[in-house]
Amino acid sequence: MTGFWKRFSRNSGAVLGLALLVLVLVVALLAPLIYPVSPWQMIGAPLLDPLEDMAFPLGTDMLGRDIAAGLVHGTRVSLLVGTVSTLCAVLVGVGVGGVAGYFGGWIDDVLMRITEFFQTIPQLAMAVVLVAIFTPSLASIVTAIALVSWPPVARLVRAEVLSLREREFVEAATVLGRPTYLILFDEILPNTLPPVIVTATLMIATAILTEAALSFLGLGDRNFMSWGFMIGAARSMLREAPWLSVMPGVAILLTVLAINLVGEGLSDALNPRLRQRGE
Amino acid sequence: MIHGLLGKRFTRLALAGLASVTLTAVAPAQTPVKGGTLNGIVQPEPPTLMLGMNQQAPTIYVAGKIYQSLLTYTPDLKPQPELAKSWVMSPDGLTYTFELEPNVKWHDGKPFTAEDVAFTVDKFLRKTHPRANVVLNRYVASVTALSPTKVEFKLKEPFGPFLSLFEVSTLPMVPKHLYDGTDYATNPANQTPIGTGPFKFKEWKRGSHIHLVKNAEYWKPGKPYIDELYFRVIPDSASRALAFEKGDVQVLRGGDVDNVDVRRLRAIKGVTTTTAGWEMYSPLAFMMMNNRKAPFDNVKVRQAVMNAIDKNFIATTVFFGLAKPAAGPFASTTLFNDTNLKPYPYNVEKAKALIKESGVDLSKSPVKILSFPYGAQWERLAEYVKQGLEQIGFTVSIEPADAGSWAKRVSDWDFDLSFNFTYQYGDPALGVARHYLSTNIVKGSPFANNQGYANPKADELLIKAASSVDQNERAKLYAEFQKIAFEEVANGYLAELQFATLYRSNVKNLVKTGIGLNETLDDAWIEK
Amino acid sequence: MAFTSFLAGRIFKALLVILAIAALNFLLIRLAPGDPASVMAGESGATDPKFVETLRTRFGLDQPLWKQLLLYLGQIVQGDLGFSYRNQVPVIQLILERLPATLLLMASSFVVSLGLGVGLGMLSASVRFFNRKRWLDSLIMTLALICYATPLFWLALMMVIVFSVQLDWLPAFGMESVGANLKGWARISDIAQHLVLPTLALSLFFMSVYVRLTRAAMMEVMMQDHVRTGFAKGLTGGEVLRRHVFRNALLPIVTFAGLQLGQVAGGAVLIETVFAWPGIGRLMFDALLQRDYQLLLGVFLITSATVIAFNLLTDIAYRFVDPRIRMEGGAR
Repeated sequence: MTGFWKRFSRNSGAVLGLALLVLVLVVALLAPLIYPVSPWQMIGAPLLDPLEDMAFPLGTDMLGRDIAAGLVHGTRVSLLVGTVSTLCAVLVGVGVGGVAGYFGGWIDDVLMRITEFFQTIPQLAMAVVLVAIFTPSLASIVTAIALVSWPPVARLVRAEVLSLREREFVEAATVLGRPTYLILFDEILPNTLPPVIVTATLMIATAILTEAALSFLGLGDRNFMSWGFMIGAARSMLREAPWLSVMPGVAILLTVLAINLVGEGLSDALNPRLRQRGE
Repeated sequence: MIHGLLGKRFTRLALAGLASVTLTAVAPAQTPVKGGTLNGIVQPEPPTLMLGMNQQAPTIYVAGKIYQSLLTYTPDLKPQPELAKSWVMSPDGLTYTFELEPNVKWHDGKPFTAEDVAFTVDKFLRKTHPRANVVLNRYVASVTALSPTKVEFKLKEPFGPFLSLFEVSTLPMVPKHLYDGTDYATNPANQTPIGTGPFKFKEWKRGSHIHLVKNAEYWKPGKPYIDELYFRVIPDSASRALAFEKGDVQVLRGGDVDNVDVRRLRAIKGVTTTTAGWEMYSPLAFMMMNNRKAPFDNVKVRQAVMNAIDKNFIATTVFFGLAKPAAGPFASTTLFNDTNLKPYPYNVEKAKALIKESGVDLSKSPVKILSFPYGAQWERLAEYVKQGLEQIGFTVSIEPADAGSWAKRVSDWDFDLSFNFTYQYGDPALGVARHYLSTNIVKGSPFANNQGYANPKADELLIKAASSVDQNERAKLYAEFQKIAFEEVANGYLAELQFATLYRSNVKNLVKTGIGLNETLDDAWIEK
Repeated sequence: MAFTSFLAGRIFKALLVILAIAALNFLLIRLAPGDPASVMAGESGATDPKFVETLRTRFGLDQPLWKQLLLYLGQIVQGDLGFSYRNQVPVIQLILERLPATLLLMASSFVVSLGLGVGLGMLSASVRFFNRKRWLDSLIMTLALICYATPLFWLALMMVIVFSVQLDWLPAFGMESVGANLKGWARISDIAQHLVLPTLALSLFFMSVYVRLTRAAMMEVMMQDHVRTGFAKGLTGGEVLRRHVFRNALLPIVTFAGLQLGQVAGGAVLIETVFAWPGIGRLMFDALLQRDYQLLLGVFLITSATVIAFNLLTDIAYRFVDPRIRMEGGAR
């Protein structure tokens, strides 16, 4: 563990990213304490500039809602969508990739065809269609993002499993007569974890961007304040009040940046070999 | 479906409007100059320009330059000659005879005659026009060409607003020689619309622009003045505002840009703004509360909702001041509006008291707002109404919908609360009655009585008023109806939308009539 | 010989995948609430319920779903993408009208992102490797990180504000000046100007990926023994780069280039919306909102087919880049 931290902290960008990410996480956790009033509440005069009224340091939007409150509460949605959808995608990806890689043969062939099939359809376009079909909600957004983002994980895990399968410790387990599923769960999958973790970090970042893009196209969940929603809602105000879209945009940028930096740090720390794969 | 169920709403977006600046006051007598190109925006891109087949707002805007009807309307909604020079009504109100302009030609050179009118109204539109067919089939017995320039309409029974029907999107004249005996829907002529108007179809580059050119053989001598019209397709609202700002387009129609941009653009030097030209349509925004289900089956709850929502906030903040609080079902710019009616005041205490009186337990019936997918303002409105209802104890969530889901769900009555805005079409019998007649509680259209309001007294008033040709009697009947609709909250009236037309001041004679930019623009000209 | 049978096999599989995509999309799209008839009724203010039924019958939507699916697949096999009832024209015509715009945007952003990305990545790796001007490496990597983290549509909006509105250097939207009737070079330069912002907005993200891929691949190769040997043998940096490093670094780049195509198609929806680019991404989004089933399916089919074709090309490219690759392996 100390070795891990040592390698991680050698990358100064990663440390910076981690600090930023921790800050974002703290804000997300404490959101209801920092801004107990719902971010939807119209509590100020509409379209106050930042710093114009110190009660609303970042200003208000067209209906008089506090931008700072929106940003703070939006943190939760972005992180939630990012992590939950990635978790789902990773579960599916590890499952498909693990089974395909371990069993090989026709199972591998069928599963890889399916994976290829999902990769053939443009990701964002597919997510847009899925969300439109199942009507926009947090659940449908998470599902859609997960559905379009698992294939890379599956391919990665499959490749790892393929190479691990031939290693001595797996062969030893096979010789000892351990059941297949146990070998898969106990021996192989844990060893595929490092690259998966790195990939997953990047997927969280991508998922946050995808959620923002969906909201921008008008396909966000209308009951939760998210950064994507804020940019989408501020789009028509771009000329009148550019800060309305600049600030959530910067929030997304910083968060995604932080996650990417941490991802790189993890990649360095977990497996120096990985770095060269270019994710 | 007893009634004149005309009415129309926009396909999209935000509304614009302004404290009334009248156009007529600004135009000094100048001699029109020939030549020039006018660029406008068509938003969203329409599916077709064949006006007899499709009557979406952008279709009307573009095709209104190609096609014409028999009449047009002044800002106070009096009929004016267009393809018809004059007309007479028989004393019993059952026969109307129109004298047509003699030297009118279709764009392909064939003469326009009374035969075309008879074919259009009696055969073509009865089949294809989803709004007008209802009125035609209900009231019009026959249309006969008496001579090449004389056509006679025989009605089954008197119909007060008959002369309001000849607006270009309601009864556009189509060429008999191209359509008679064909399958209208698949006729290749739909791709290259042929009309009698001052501009001819030249090219449609999908996703980019529609190009119309001057009709040199136009029947009004010396007109039109403008050589070329371009309607550009720009899907993003902010980009549309920019296009106007940079001078790439010279005209913005109400709804082309968000209200917030209207506020900015109209302040630019050399830009003229007017809210005139929407009298025929007078769009009215309202809230539909599904009367079939709890809690909105209770009239006290509906009244409470009206008290919990600040109509002034909606007009000034949600619509950026380009709207006026509405009191009842009639827009104030239309005939028969009862000026005694005042909007429900914003009174949260009263709203809470009404909920208490109703005895309804709001926690037992959470409400879903089905969002109205026509632009940013409507989303803000949904968010505002949600807050308004939550403050008196409702549990509210917003269900997003795109145009397809919205139309489907409202048509199938599958909603708690949603928004809508509809055109009034110059007469309550055409634009308003459709929302309230109990006979119009039908599935399949989002512009019927979707909220499920039923009151035999209201039905009786509306039917009587439609078949009367005595304006005073109609006014009295309609006043009584408005009072009932207001008190029973037949719909939640929110705002009269004011659509602003913005244009560069060197464009002259742009908005002249009650149908505004849907007019042929044969009078418009560009100062050099 | 082996190559021909490999190619035939791949093409056959690709055709099967395309058919499967068509069938799956067909069923998926039908799960969406509403249909083209209800949208059209909604838009045209229809008040006659029979009108919607008439439309449904005309569009063939009153048939059982399996029958519609079989009909559709039958059409596809015959190379017919169907008819857009909403627009009253064949689907293929609409797509062909819009496809060139998107292909142009894709090609230019592909070239820009690949060129800039590989160039900067190589620069970054070499300054680091030779331990000169390391700040340049940091600068490039930071730039790449930021580009990688910026929402595409937001970047596009900001670029419009800065370069079109404030500086007034470039047109903000559209593909060419409408009504200008430009010919020849004037027209080309007009289109080129319109192309700058959308291309940049679409390219920066992919550029950042290429920077990182190139840099990582080069670093890896430069660590390898044969490269070190090369230096030991007294080859210059440039020669080593050319002979050993670049060739090996190409693999991951080619792989990603294959994937980029599909991603660009998705990004095109956003970019085409912001810049009013009359391309296929916007066509798809509109078709979705209008429930123009056949058009939407057609767009999906065409993009999927393009992606598959491109994947095939990548596989072939692999073969030339690195003949050791087994051809059945496909792109990783």
